[in-house]
Amino acid sequence: MASLESHFGRSYAGRPVGLVRGPNNWHASGFVDGSMFRSVVFTFFAACCATGPTSAAEPERVDFSRQVLPLFADRCFACHGPDENTREADLRLDLRASVFDRDPGSPLILPGQSSKSPLFERISSHDPDLQMPPPSATRQLKRKEIVLIRKWIDQGADWQEHWAFSLPVRPDIPEVSDAEWPRNSIDQFVLARLDGESLQPSHEAKRETLIRRVTLALTGLPPTPEEIDRFLKDESPNSYEKVVDRLLASHRYGEHMAMPWLDAARYADTDGYQNDRIRYMWAWRDWLIQALNDGQPFDQFTIDQLAGDMLPNATLRQQIATGFCRNHRINSEGGSIPDEWIVEYVVDRVDTLGTVWMGLTLGCARCHDHKYDPVSQRGYYKLFAYFNNVAEWGLGPNNGNSPPLIKVPDDWPLLTTTNDVKIEPAPYELVTSQVSVVRPKPGGKETVMVMAELPEPRPTYLLRRGQYNLPDKSETLTPGLPDSLNVSDKAPANRKELAEWLVSPENPLTARVIVNRHWQHFFGMGLVKTSENFGVQGEPPSHPELLDWLALEFVRSGWDVKQLHRMIVTSATYRQASVATHEQPKRDPENRLLARGPRFRFSAHMIRDQALAVSGLLQERIGGPSVKPYAPPGIWKSISNNKYVQDHGPSLYRRSLYTYWRRTVPPPTMATFNAAEREVCLVRKDRTNTPLQALTLMNNVAFVEAARFLAERIMREADSDSDSQIRFGFRIVTGRLPRESESEPLAKAYDQFLDYFAKNPTEAPKLLAIGEAARDKKLPAERHAALTMLANILLNLDEAITLE
Amino acid sequence: MNEIPEHRLQINRRHFFGRTSTGLGTLGLASIMNPRLFADEAPGRNAMGGLTDLPHFRPKAKRVIYLFQSGGPSQLDLYDEKPELIKRFGEEVPKSIYPDDRKTTMTLGQKQFVTAPSRFGYRSHGESGLRLTELLPHLGGVADEMCVIRSMYTETINHDPSITFQLTGSPLPGRPSMGSWMSYGLGSANSDLPAFVAMTSSGTAKAGQPLYDRLWGAGFLPAKFQGVKLRGKGDPVLDLNNPAGVSPEIRLQMLQTLGQLNRQKLEETGDPEIEARIAQYELAYRMQTSVPELADLSSEPKSTFDLYGPSAKKPGSYGYNCLLARRLAERGVRFIQLFHRGWDQHGNLPKQIASQCRDTDQPTAGLIRDLKQRGMLDDTLIIWGGEFGRTVYSQGGLTKANYGRDHHPSCFSMWMAGAGVKGGLTWGQTDDYSVNVAEDGVHVHDLQATILHLLGVDHERLTYPYQGRHFRLTDVHGRVVNELLS
Repeated sequence: MASLESHFGRSYAGRPVGLVRGPNNWHASGFVDGSMFRSVVFTFFAACCATGPTSAAEPERVDFSRQVLPLFADRCFACHGPDENTREADLRLDLRASVFDRDPGSPLILPGQSSKSPLFERISSHDPDLQMPPPSATRQLKRKEIVLIRKWIDQGADWQEHWAFSLPVRPDIPEVSDAEWPRNSIDQFVLARLDGESLQPSHEAKRETLIRRVTLALTGLPPTPEEIDRFLKDESPNSYEKVVDRLLASHRYGEHMAMPWLDAARYADTDGYQNDRIRYMWAWRDWLIQALNDGQPFDQFTIDQLAGDMLPNATLRQQIATGFCRNHRINSEGGSIPDEWIVEYVVDRVDTLGTVWMGLTLGCARCHDHKYDPVSQRGYYKLFAYFNNVAEWGLGPNNGNSPPLIKVPDDWPLLTTTNDVKIEPAPYELVTSQVSVVRPKPGGKETVMVMAELPEPRPTYLLRRGQYNLPDKSETLTPGLPDSLNVSDKAPANRKELAEWLVSPENPLTARVIVNRHWQHFFGMGLVKTSENFGVQGEPPSHPELLDWLALEFVRSGWDVKQLHRMIVTSATYRQASVATHEQPKRDPENRLLARGPRFRFSAHMIRDQALAVSGLLQERIGGPSVKPYAPPGIWKSISNNKYVQDHGPSLYRRSLYTYWRRTVPPPTMATFNAAEREVCLVRKDRTNTPLQALTLMNNVAFVEAARFLAERIMREADSDSDSQIRFGFRIVTGRLPRESESEPLAKAYDQFLDYFAKNPTEAPKLLAIGEAARDKKLPAERHAALTMLANILLNLDEAITLE
Repeated sequence: MNEIPEHRLQINRRHFFGRTSTGLGTLGLASIMNPRLFADEAPGRNAMGGLTDLPHFRPKAKRVIYLFQSGGPSQLDLYDEKPELIKRFGEEVPKSIYPDDRKTTMTLGQKQFVTAPSRFGYRSHGESGLRLTELLPHLGGVADEMCVIRSMYTETINHDPSITFQLTGSPLPGRPSMGSWMSYGLGSANSDLPAFVAMTSSGTAKAGQPLYDRLWGAGFLPAKFQGVKLRGKGDPVLDLNNPAGVSPEIRLQMLQTLGQLNRQKLEETGDPEIEARIAQYELAYRMQTSVPELADLSSEPKSTFDLYGPSAKKPGSYGYNCLLARRLAERGVRFIQLFHRGWDQHGNLPKQIASQCRDTDQPTAGLIRDLKQRGMLDDTLIIWGGEFGRTVYSQGGLTKANYGRDHHPSCFSMWMAGAGVKGGLTWGQTDDYSVNVAEDGVHVHDLQATILHLLGVDHERLTYPYQGRHFRLTDVHGRVVNELLS
């Protein structure tokens, strides 16, 4: 690529025009030392100019950080970005200084004069020797984008740093057109944005829709008809808030909120490589549910999981919380090289930290400087050093927990005070098998894996190309933040200080990243759609001011998650009807502008849990080891050397977060509905439709059995005429009564089902024998079977599996 | 070179710039006059559900049947003939050729690393004279269709990362499998069956190494592009069959009522997701017919089973899966991924590999012959191979009759046949011990690039944005091995 350099060299030569600074908005304070993170000056220019993602009209003024910087990143950073090793012509387009503080004799951009700006000449050139990106580049600038960059230059080439790397500053609550509509400050921000688009919010959702929506969102289970009735009858002005408070106090809340965290924490019951050996981490899951139900402040929640073992007078709970850092996959394949795999475990911890708390794709910097964000490879390995001191062995045992581990006291999870004290894990003992395969002695099912520091830190080096066997031993790296992230002179010295830094006011990212994921939980999409990536290549926020306001409010509340949830679900924004008006699906298909309420399909776990709940089969018991509900024949055996031994009785009907999770063969019912595989950290998953989902809901034993018991419930609890039965069943599943246009086809179908089972008397008993729970034999079989098919329709309704 | 598809025949950007003297000033007008200029900014989907800009050029192959041999088949005993090694029987393999730091920790503790020549003979086949082990007589009959690569190499030494690398381009989980990439990029030629189907089988002598759902998973691509696993036991597709007691007629009644209610909801809410869901129920219903029809072999004549061998009648066997692969190919399924386990022969290799070859030789050759007689070999690409090779030194004791071999990533053999590849070709060389590639090495990413090329896909241009990067199957590597192409 030497030719590129010469191209640029030629272009600059002999340019007589001096550098002209742009008129405003350079915020030199943000770039005193070239660090993108050090700015404390936050401009709301971006927010003011941001337009709807679907708005057709180009904004009057080009927003550099939202519109231009992402283009530079995507098309130019590969050769002119943060990665020093691939940088050409000594030019980086991620730093203002590199663009503007060049040799005055050869400026790159002349603000206000695109036609005289070499940068513009290059990107618009049709001379293959001059044009940028060069003809060989696979990612080219499109015409529209070139026009945009020209416009930006002509407007003065204002430069702001990437929004997510500046500390949030509390914005003023905006003025809005309708003072009546907002219920809290969230709504002011949302409405101000809608005002700018000349759009109006939707009316409030019907009360039965609202209580179903909020009950599912906060607990993962639908409201009962009694709960709905109580709410419909409650005429007090705070009737909705009362429901919200009841739900926030429910033990189901912690179970439901644990789900996205289990995905992020890549929690599983097996090790995840090759033979996918068994491990025992459910005590950590117990801890998680309890912490969420107790409303543990998020800052402490963070510190406990990342460094609970290092706290003074650490409790046992704090120590068990560190299982978060041990939930990664562990390789036990004979023949593996332990040193290689220790590196993989540490990498997994760093990458998970990046995604969960920082919204950064740190993993890119494992092998080279980050291509887009200011994280150097050296910076990566300084972060690596925080997690490289674990007293672990690189190869896992043949089944069982890998050290460091501790025994869980018998009175877990209640724990007497004397038992709630950190236990010092014993050093691992190694045993040799198969000639030369050295493994640690495993911990049994009474143990749990935790973090524990080595007495002497393992030395950390930069690993060339990320390879364990290519350390750059010229420098031993001490723990530290990437230079660009370090605002004070003193870097966090160890894992504990790192955790404290994450939730300190010096970090621009964590509070934003966390409130965004909570927003995603409630609306199906974050204010930043790419909730895993707040870097330059991520999507800019739809409501930047709201995001910052929420983040700062969250911190101000003492990182109170329940309060954040209460604020979101009691907002007028959240309470809108989710029905899209005629032009909305076209104008704003993803509902980024929030002119309507949320509408999205349940998660895999919610789909099954709801079926269990409405059928009355659900067995509620918090915590404990995982259970093995129904699975297809040979589900493990057909592709591995393990056999799935299904449970019986109550274990078949526990909530899905307790379903045994084998990483290499996840439960198919969950996988079919886009559940995270739990192999690596995941904070966002698609919800695509597949035919396998339809087959599961129609034919899977768990769902047929649920239909069978929903039918029993209908027969027991509703009046005996079919109209009442249909209305009752419909309401149990959807939370509302059917319209005539809905009950009529259902009645017709029911009659046909009944007719079929009457004419084919051998068929009903077959259908009613599906699943292990015995039916009530007193109920007439034909009617029971016909109602089972009716319930099968109800459980397959779009509305049944959609939060709306 | 290939014809340029009509939809690619538009004024490209460079061209346009070159002809316009006023440059950017007229752009706005140009875009109004020719809206296709901006077509690439609204990537849509073509009639088959593939990306509109794919294929990038005219494909040689319309579909792939990938016969993955899990465990790491021994190149020394199958394709990489080393007759001179007989003379070195029992001699220590020189450390200069095989240094310790490249051995797995499973054999690293052995006191000696003695040369274990293959105890099987090789024979010439066909007009090409292609050399194959005596264990593969049926393949010998189709040798002139085969393009054997002796110089494959990979990067990792253990099963899990190696097989994941081979099929997703990365040794770590999270990336889409090759079939998912093809399903995403090229769509499906059959509206009643998924574009990507996976099947698994085990050897009769030994079950073998485990497989993982990620090997046919969609990774970060939307889940609808994942491979659908056809199962040898129970319902061929999970939950395909109606529950006992439910006839097709009342299932249809149920679906009609469901569709009626869902359409009402669609009208009420305007949520396009409902439309997609309705379509998926329709496809599910069609699959309830199309999959049993696919798996119903009663219409196959006796000659079919003569070709594939008796195991083709046994659901879940390799032979059965090969026959199903042909039936899937006939129905337009884009990517058919078979996995056959049992090639991980650390000990007792001669007996085990003979058994594996007995299980697979006839069905594999039968598939090639069958496709050929149906005129489908011209546009079907067949790939055979595993995740790595095996060591020349014996793992455990060595006798004339018995030896074992450990994992070996530095060289191994694979072969392709059918669409666009040179039949009867043997490509690449290993050194005298079959330890290192001596000539014309083909990296896993090179093979992947070549497979995509045959399907009309430029491996550098089929990308998907995820976590702020444009990911592709071949990461940032890969070279199309043109020398293998006809």
